[in-house]
Amino acid sequence: MNQSPVETVEEFLYREATYLDQADLESWIQLFTEDGTYWMPAMHEQPDPMNHISHIYDDRVLMEIRKRNFIHPRAPSLQSPVQSSHLIANIREKGTTTIGERIIHSNFHIVMWYREEQRVFAGTYQHHLQSTASGFLIKHKKVQLINPEAAQKSIIIYL
Amino acid sequence: MNTPAIEASLDQLVEATRVNRQVYLDPDIFDLEMERIWGKAWIFIGHESQIPLSGDYFTTNIDHKTPVLMVRGKDHKIHVLHNRCAHKGAKIVTARSGKIAGAFRCPYHGWTFKHNGNLLKIPNESGYENTGFDLNDSCNNLQPLAQFDSYRGFVFASLSDQTPDLKTWLGGAIDCFDNLCDRAPEGEVEVAGGVLRYEHDCNWKFIIENLNDTMHPMIVHQSVVQSAEAYISTLDADAAKQKQEAEILLPFGASYENFEDSGITGFPYGHHYDGGKTSIHANYSVMPEYHKAMIDRYGEQRTQGIYAFNTHNTLLYPSLTIKCAIQNIRVIRPVAVNKFIVETWSFRLKGAPDEMLQRTLLYSRLINSSASMVGPDDLEVYRRLQEGLASNSSQWVEMHRQFGRDQQLEDRVTGGGTSDLDVRTQYKAWRHYMLGEAML
Ligand code: FES
Ligand SMILES: [Fe+2]
Repeated sequence: MNQSPVETVEEFLYREATYLDQADLESWIQLFTEDGTYWMPAMHEQPDPMNHISHIYDDRVLMEIRKRNFIHPRAPSLQSPVQSSHLIANIREKGTTTIGERIIHSNFHIVMWYREEQRVFAGTYQHHLQSTASGFLIKHKKVQLINPEAAQKSIIIYL
Repeated sequence: MNTPAIEASLDQLVEATRVNRQVYLDPDIFDLEMERIWGKAWIFIGHESQIPLSGDYFTTNIDHKTPVLMVRGKDHKIHVLHNRCAHKGAKIVTARSGKIAGAFRCPYHGWTFKHNGNLLKIPNESGYENTGFDLNDSCNNLQPLAQFDSYRGFVFASLSDQTPDLKTWLGGAIDCFDNLCDRAPEGEVEVAGGVLRYEHDCNWKFIIENLNDTMHPMIVHQSVVQSAEAYISTLDADAAKQKQEAEILLPFGASYENFEDSGITGFPYGHHYDGGKTSIHANYSVMPEYHKAMIDRYGEQRTQGIYAFNTHNTLLYPSLTIKCAIQNIRVIRPVAVNKFIVETWSFRLKGAPDEMLQRTLLYSRLINSSASMVGPDDLEVYRRLQEGLASNSSQWVEMHRQFGRDQQLEDRVTGGGTSDLDVRTQYKAWRHYMLGEAML
């Protein structure tokens, strides 16, 4: 996909969502900085990812492994296709981190089709975006579900 | 439920080396399992560290529907009570955990109950005068479970007063609680870091029959192991940190020989563990700061003895699995014949550095999360079982591996690590609970 040098925050978030809709993890990972992280807490207002359990807390290492596992022919859970549709709205700037990354909050609705069943996820995204010469990169993405403590069925792709 | 017909067939469902598919499919058998297994066995409720202060409570279901609560009394003792008002039956508390303000107060007509469940007060009590209603009858209390007890902080309860006491019931598997707690420099553990809940669309027995199924990891988890290996092969020699992180996933690719050597030990009432001398967790490195705390507390020899008890997975049939070396547990709660919830809880070793809890949480996240690369592949094969067994082409599921080679010792049975001894052990208990066969 072409990346315009003047891509807005909004356009960037839509592009990210499109990679996930298309289950294109190869392109999706390239949106993260080398030290970028992806976090899906298992409670509201979870103070940190280390001292409390999370659904996912991935750094580049785990993203790289997931990317390979996702297309591995022998992962039993991945023999059924997964299809998702992300809607992102209420995008708002929330200032900057101490090292100058832009903090963007947005709301998401995701409808996911997997194993003959349609499921809905909803919540808030928090993106920390670095501005680079070639556009934005994600330093941190937090996925705050509205029901982080609920029993989940298998979540086999990033939300 | 067509009970007489089911009753007559129960005896035919489980043989020494095979079980009838109906034990996974038939809702009537599920109902009987709830009544006879979950209604008799000691079921794991929670841990004392969750309710440190008087009035703290924690709620759960003891089976597929019966709500119970565990509460710390004024006298600091633990009570396990039915979460059901003695008046017209409303559920008293709905939060997963909380603290009562003075007393339990029913949200419907305001009856109040003491910490121990005893009736405290009924509003406008005079209406009961000369009605035959007896204020002092214990039936007007929140009812205690038939039995409850704890061992090293782990609280269990039973809906039956016929079940032997907790220690007898745990048998030799009790060593796993000791080992888990002894791994703490202060000799105690506490629940920490929250809970993951994972919904499984399949029969509850599949997860506990898979627990020590050591013939599956190299197949079911081959993809994640190979993906980790493929990633490691791209790393430069100086990428030690990345390599170390990726390696946590590699034990799932351990060889048949490796699993065979770890052995399986079975106990009465369906409990068992694999490992004990060695396991796929045997090679996890020991953190220097933690090791020092252990040596200070126990001395070198005892410390090595504690590390050496290296079980992989323990099952306390039917509701609890433990990983001593990792310090996490999984709690099983059936919902219906084709649905259950599994919860993953992590423990802090008191007196150990924070990094130990962080390692436990990392493990829970990478292996047990519904969004991990391991748990979903396990669930997928359980669901394949649930779906495949609907086929009428055979009535049987086999469990022959190494049958006849098990060694019966005084209080336990031991066998090869890749045997079906674990499943045979569970179905002995199943026959005991369901058919009343002698256990010991
Ligand atoms: S049902 Fe609880 S007070 Fe009436
Ligand atoms: Fe597995």
